[in-house]
Amino acid sequence: MAPSRSRRASALILDRGIGPLFVTPALVLLVLVVVGPFFYTIALSFTDLSYALPDRDGSFVGFDNYRRLVRSDPVFWDSFTTTLWFVVASVAIEMVLGLAAALILAGLLARGRFVLTLVLVPMMLAPVTVGLIGKLMLQGEFGMLTYYLRELGLMGQQTAMLGDPKLALAAVVLLDIWQWTPFVTLVMLAGILSLPRGPFEAAIMDGAGRLRILWDITLPLLRPIIALVLLLRSIDAFKEFDKVFILTGGGPGTATELLSIYTYRVNFRDWDLGYGAVCAFMVYLVVLVLCSVFYKAMSRRDRSEP
Amino acid sequence: VTRAWRGAAIAAVIAIVIIALTPYVWMLLTSFKGRLDALADRPVWMFDPTLEHYGDVLIDKKYLPLVWNSLFVAVGTTILSLAIGVPAAYVFARARFAGKEDLFFFFLTTRMAPAISVVVPMYLLFNKLGLLETRIVVVLAHSTFNLSLVVWMMRGFFAEIPPQMDEAAQLDGHTRAGAFVRVLLPLAAPGIAATAVLCFILSWNEFLYAFILASFESRTLTVGIPGLVTPHGTLWGQVAAVAVVATLPILLFTAVVQRHLVRGLTFGAVKG
Repeated sequence: MAPSRSRRASALILDRGIGPLFVTPALVLLVLVVVGPFFYTIALSFTDLSYALPDRDGSFVGFDNYRRLVRSDPVFWDSFTTTLWFVVASVAIEMVLGLAAALILAGLLARGRFVLTLVLVPMMLAPVTVGLIGKLMLQGEFGMLTYYLRELGLMGQQTAMLGDPKLALAAVVLLDIWQWTPFVTLVMLAGILSLPRGPFEAAIMDGAGRLRILWDITLPLLRPIIALVLLLRSIDAFKEFDKVFILTGGGPGTATELLSIYTYRVNFRDWDLGYGAVCAFMVYLVVLVLCSVFYKAMSRRDRSEP
Repeated sequence: VTRAWRGAAIAAVIAIVIIALTPYVWMLLTSFKGRLDALADRPVWMFDPTLEHYGDVLIDKKYLPLVWNSLFVAVGTTILSLAIGVPAAYVFARARFAGKEDLFFFFLTTRMAPAISVVVPMYLLFNKLGLLETRIVVVLAHSTFNLSLVVWMMRGFFAEIPPQMDEAAQLDGHTRAGAFVRVLLPLAAPGIAATAVLCFILSWNEFLYAFILASFESRTLTVGIPGLVTPHGTLWGQVAAVAVVATLPILLFTAVVQRHLVRGLTFGAVKG
């Protein structure tokens, strides 16, 4: 028994020639389009390069840009705070609503799958069109949602969500919830349907009620998947650009200016590329940190699986 | 008690479906509305439909070539990512070497890389190389996320094929590479098809890279649509019409790959 198994294991190791041949092109492409640009960003962040001012031709300025970020750019930190609010509010609500919807759909079994196809529509639309749909519905004069919100007395007759600083951020969150709750539902439903049946049958035999089963069995068993969805959604929400860029462009004023939109503005409106590189690098850094948490969570899960 | 639960659940599901679909349906309706109906003070649900916006925007405003640009970019990045990513995924599924998981994680980080951070240096680099504003640049940029999607999804699909298949093929006289092409690829074909559709969708829907890197002529649909929105007097019928053209094919595709969506969107963390 033992020799044949080890022979099989060695057969699984690819011929020496083929492994590198198959992996290298992928690595080269990634180095070209991701790693190269990443290090170029870091290099740029130590220069004063600007396409708007001819005398700033990219000479080395040390940590000047970083100093400016920490000491004298309140707008950056405002947009950082706005981004955090956006991420926390939308992801938290998406998690609760998405999980609730998944639990309901799981109870409907076969019909749940068909309903899921319909529910997935928002997340499969191009984010740009999601932004446009939001704009169309929230227009001040003829927006469909504006009209009904006013009729129901939920909003003043003169109020337009996208024109009011506080409400504009709420509108952005609302649109993100509409778009991404289906993702949470989709993954949670897959998770729920893959849970082992044993614990549930035992609990029903013991006469446990629905809420008790949900609280004591379903949720604890789902914990790893909940953590994964939470991380994936947080990373994506932190990077959000398209929808908000279309819906509000970061306004009114800078009320909905997320970090990504601020970075866009510094680079492609002000053409302040040296400083813009610092902003881009900061976004990168936060995402990398979230990513490594995701990776740790995943490898822990893999180890716990048989 | 059970009947009450069931009734409440069905009511909730109906509400969920209505909320999920109404905004899209509203845009669909808007694309068929005459100017007066679209701008009415009070939302109009019943009206005489017209197809004029589709002709106006696709032909008169020349948005039809944008469909071609989007197709070119999406098909291009799909082929590139599959051609390079599928063999790599096979190695990740079968081979054992030190640091494999770390290398694999590296692929994940490229999928997660924020577009706004990558596109700035990309713009400057491609500008220096004189490649800016071509569709090829957008194809390359889109492979930042699609290549790792392919590697992640296809690794899972290859892992599900028993290694005995490889061995049997080699006993039949195939080389490793021959076994991969003649035996493994056909077995993985359904997975490759699902992955291809997902790559296509992600690229077709992408905005930021195309927005920054493409020129007016090479811009894709997603970049073109916001151009129709002006501070004063946006023709929403036309905006809606192009948006429908940009989204309806994708929704049909989604129905085809729904089974594989979970895996594709969670990096194989959840099987679905």
